[in-house]
Amino acid sequence: MTTAETVLAPPRAKTAADSATLRRRRGFQHGGWFVAPFLVLFALFVIWPLLRGVYLSFTDANITGDGESFVGLDNYREALKDPLMWDALGHSAYFTLLVVPCITVLAFLLAMLAHHIERGKWLWRLCFFAPFLLPSTVAGNLWQWLFNPGTGMINYVFGIDTPWLTDKSYAMLAIVITTLWWTVGFSFLLYLAALQSIPDHLYEAAKLDGANAWHRMVHITLPMLRNITGLVIALQILASLQVFDQAVVMLDFGPGPENSTRTFVQYTLEEGFTSYRVGYASAISIIFFVIIAAVALARMWLLRNREEAAR
Amino acid sequence: MGRPGLNRRQLLATLGGLGVAGSFGFAALGTGADALASNARTRVRYWNLFSGGDGANMIAMLDAFRKANPAIEVKDSTLQWGNPFYTKLAMAAAGNRAPDLGVMHMGRVTGFSPGRLLDAWDVDLLAKYGVHKRDFNPQLWNRGVIDGKLYALPLDVHVQLCFYRKDVLKKAGLLGDDGRIVPVTSADEWFDVLKEARKATKKGLQTIGFWHNDQNFQWWFFVAFYTQLGGTWFDAAGAEVTFDTDKAVQVLEFLRRHLTDGYANPGFGGQAGAEQFVNGAPFVWEGNWSVPVFDSAKIDYGAVPLPPVFGRQATHAESHAFVLPHQADRGGAANEGAHRLAAHIVRHAQQWAAGGHIPAYTPTLSTPAYQKLNPQSEYVSAMDHQATEPKVWFAGSTGILAQRVGPVVVSSTMGSARPEAVARRMRSELTTLLAMKNPMDGRTAAQGGTAA
Amino acid sequence: MSMAAPPRKAWTPSQIILTLLGTAVSVVFLAPFAWALFTSLKSETEAVAVPPHWLPQDWTGQAWTALFETGNITNWFVNSLVVSVCVTSVVLLVSALAGYGFARTEFRGKSVLMAVVMAGLMISPAVLGVPLFTTVQQMGMVDTYWGMILPQCAPAAMVYILYKFFQGIPRELEEAAFIDGAGRWRVFFTIVVPLARPSLAAVGIFTFIASWNNFLWPYMVTNNPDLMTMPNGIATVMNSYGIQWAQLMAGGLMAGLPLIIVFVFFQRQIVAGVAHTGLAGQ
Repeated sequence: MTTAETVLAPPRAKTAADSATLRRRRGFQHGGWFVAPFLVLFALFVIWPLLRGVYLSFTDANITGDGESFVGLDNYREALKDPLMWDALGHSAYFTLLVVPCITVLAFLLAMLAHHIERGKWLWRLCFFAPFLLPSTVAGNLWQWLFNPGTGMINYVFGIDTPWLTDKSYAMLAIVITTLWWTVGFSFLLYLAALQSIPDHLYEAAKLDGANAWHRMVHITLPMLRNITGLVIALQILASLQVFDQAVVMLDFGPGPENSTRTFVQYTLEEGFTSYRVGYASAISIIFFVIIAAVALARMWLLRNREEAAR
Repeated sequence: MGRPGLNRRQLLATLGGLGVAGSFGFAALGTGADALASNARTRVRYWNLFSGGDGANMIAMLDAFRKANPAIEVKDSTLQWGNPFYTKLAMAAAGNRAPDLGVMHMGRVTGFSPGRLLDAWDVDLLAKYGVHKRDFNPQLWNRGVIDGKLYALPLDVHVQLCFYRKDVLKKAGLLGDDGRIVPVTSADEWFDVLKEARKATKKGLQTIGFWHNDQNFQWWFFVAFYTQLGGTWFDAAGAEVTFDTDKAVQVLEFLRRHLTDGYANPGFGGQAGAEQFVNGAPFVWEGNWSVPVFDSAKIDYGAVPLPPVFGRQATHAESHAFVLPHQADRGGAANEGAHRLAAHIVRHAQQWAAGGHIPAYTPTLSTPAYQKLNPQSEYVSAMDHQATEPKVWFAGSTGILAQRVGPVVVSSTMGSARPEAVARRMRSELTTLLAMKNPMDGRTAAQGGTAA
Repeated sequence: MSMAAPPRKAWTPSQIILTLLGTAVSVVFLAPFAWALFTSLKSETEAVAVPPHWLPQDWTGQAWTALFETGNITNWFVNSLVVSVCVTSVVLLVSALAGYGFARTEFRGKSVLMAVVMAGLMISPAVLGVPLFTTVQQMGMVDTYWGMILPQCAPAAMVYILYKFFQGIPRELEEAAFIDGAGRWRVFFTIVVPLARPSLAAVGIFTFIASWNNFLWPYMVTNNPDLMTMPNGIATVMNSYGIQWAQLMAGGLMAGLPLIIVFVFFQRQIVAGVAHTGLAGQ
């Protein structure tokens, strides 16, 4: 830490105090160069596509990228009447509704388990987190194989005969199960980190006051986990609404039995890249963006309200 | 500072730095390891969608080609059939990174923007490699011609078939003197056949597998039987929907009855149908590409076109064709290599016929080797009774039409919607599609004409 | 076991129950991996035998050798490595600079830009994939490494995480260095970056995992099988012989195992990294 020592040593020359202040101030000025590289990439690959998406949504552009013409609000008008779009939105919302509560509860329980077992902590962490390290397509393929009729392990182990991926009442459920196994590890780690950061003295004080394990959990653990739960739920909602990878892989890039698993992201890509209707796909992408932004803003608004209430 | 720990750290840092530098260098080269390693003078990139038995046959044909033309390296890639394939082919062509040669279904060519996403074949070059128009069914050849230019070089015709187990049918008394299934001419006769066959079927097996929950197959079967009834889709100008909901209901009820009468098990709809057939189920409706699968399973079977239960022969047919995906700088050795490769495969289609397909190159059909093939000779008549999708830009294998209407047909077959409601829904989907503009040229089917 | 060993924690009844429970849950989590591994060691015909069985009757490496013989998988592995390394290094450099810039320097329009970057958190290839594709298409980068790499290099989230971290560093350290006459860039690279090493490691680890596993964007932007990354190649390029589960499982393990092995060795850092990046969103 030699640098830190020199830095912390008292300045020897106080004579040039003025120029030192000047230098110091200049050090923090004109930071534009620091942010420039990021801003260039950000402008090219985030801002420009957004603006371009808005522009394309008012045109009849196709996949070739040449010769689009302005069609006004036609795409949006069509979208609002498009039953497939509403279906896809419904599927993504249904998926979110199933996944978010399950994953939150499961992650919490797993974290409690791993936190309270005294031995082999690394092992539990490894077991619960390992699936998250798989690429989505590998997780999808693996569970497609597990759910396979006849040769799949799931039906065999449980002695059942469920047509998981070929019946519309089960297909989405199969995707949800896969997603739970694959992604719960991330939220689990967040909970585990939060549990470990709760100071021990709170528990010790409670013990002295004669609180039993249940009381300690209800009055210390759960309140201390409130923020992290809010975060887990918010992150999960945003991620789940954007579900795509595992759903398409498990159903061979199709829309599922009787169109039952086509998600919103999948529908935008189908319209854009399979039907070659880039203009229309842009319009529904913008609609989707507005929905996602609304969810994110709602969370910010909730957080702010809570902070104000706490004050 | 000579501590070993620091040296190790330096070493790691150096290695890491080299790794990062190497990665950037590799990315800058931009061709991928395989192309770097290739030292052949001409490299032809060829994308296809053939898997299963077709895939094996295609590989054998490619290997034969490689042997005959060692100067040309063929880099073949098999992409997942259906949406991913057409998506990737279109995006590659739009992004000007297309392969030198590709395969498509004939029905998709119209909507694939010939001239923009596809390049035309050099007919003289094809002739140089031995492929002439006169060797093809003119109707088939002309499906690939748009604005006077050839965009799709036909490889085969493939049809939907009714496969049957001779051993089971014999037990059920359903085989004629010629060892082939007794002819069926009406729906009632067909269900009588199924009823008899069921009695001779082993326990745990369904009587017939017909991909009842698959939106592509159900749509193809619908097209076949709807055509048997003489149903039409649009008027000649492509301006009006002529879809007959009464006829559609008849077809949908016919398909549904296989499940309600218990001949098909809802759990064995997809690939499982073929597995059940191999294990002893008497019937399966499949594409002719299943022939090699059943051949390799060494079972005693036959195959006929889908039964003419509505009085008239018709079975769904499509055609694979070679195409040249658009490259801005098409030409040169790779382009010639693509012509040579396509011509070679089209002309040496005997191997392809082993995959159950009917070769488009007619000289193949009259060879004794082809005529000896079984069951190919049993269903070759299907050529003359083709039921095809309407000739509009949104049709074609896994095209928008199939994507929109296929799942609707499935919902009737599987019993989650009533046939009458489904027929109405199909009609309204067709109306919507007819009014939709082709994204490639901004014209509706009526404005763009229906010519394929 | 050994008398000399330091006293270990007691096996209280509650610990025994918890450990048993933990073991049971772990088995459920690990069973799919085992199933994949065993499937990959069966012959293709044994893999689809009905009813299924766990252990191969004939242990065979045919799926693994076939995987390497067809050649694609090694290509994809190299591609994944190239893309992930490039993305990680660019992201680290660019977002460290930007995080510092936003946290410590003054320039015109900073707060507006910061707000814009934060709004960027809501945009991803999943939300705006089609317009992003057309943008990359305009730049002529479809089916190139750069087309895969660069759009992954502008993660607002990572800038935000480092911004939060740099805000927490006491200003005095830099001020003293400035007074000593050090330039801005020197201060950044010799004082700030070493202090930020844990945060940078967290961002780097998280970015590498995300990039290695990324499917959606590479799927959209690459069509040439020569250029595909592991997750993309496995999902979209088929073996010409149809779905062969043993090979598919072997390929999946090959795509997934490197990260899992790395995780076993660098568990502490990775856990800290993921928790750190995740918690920063609070």
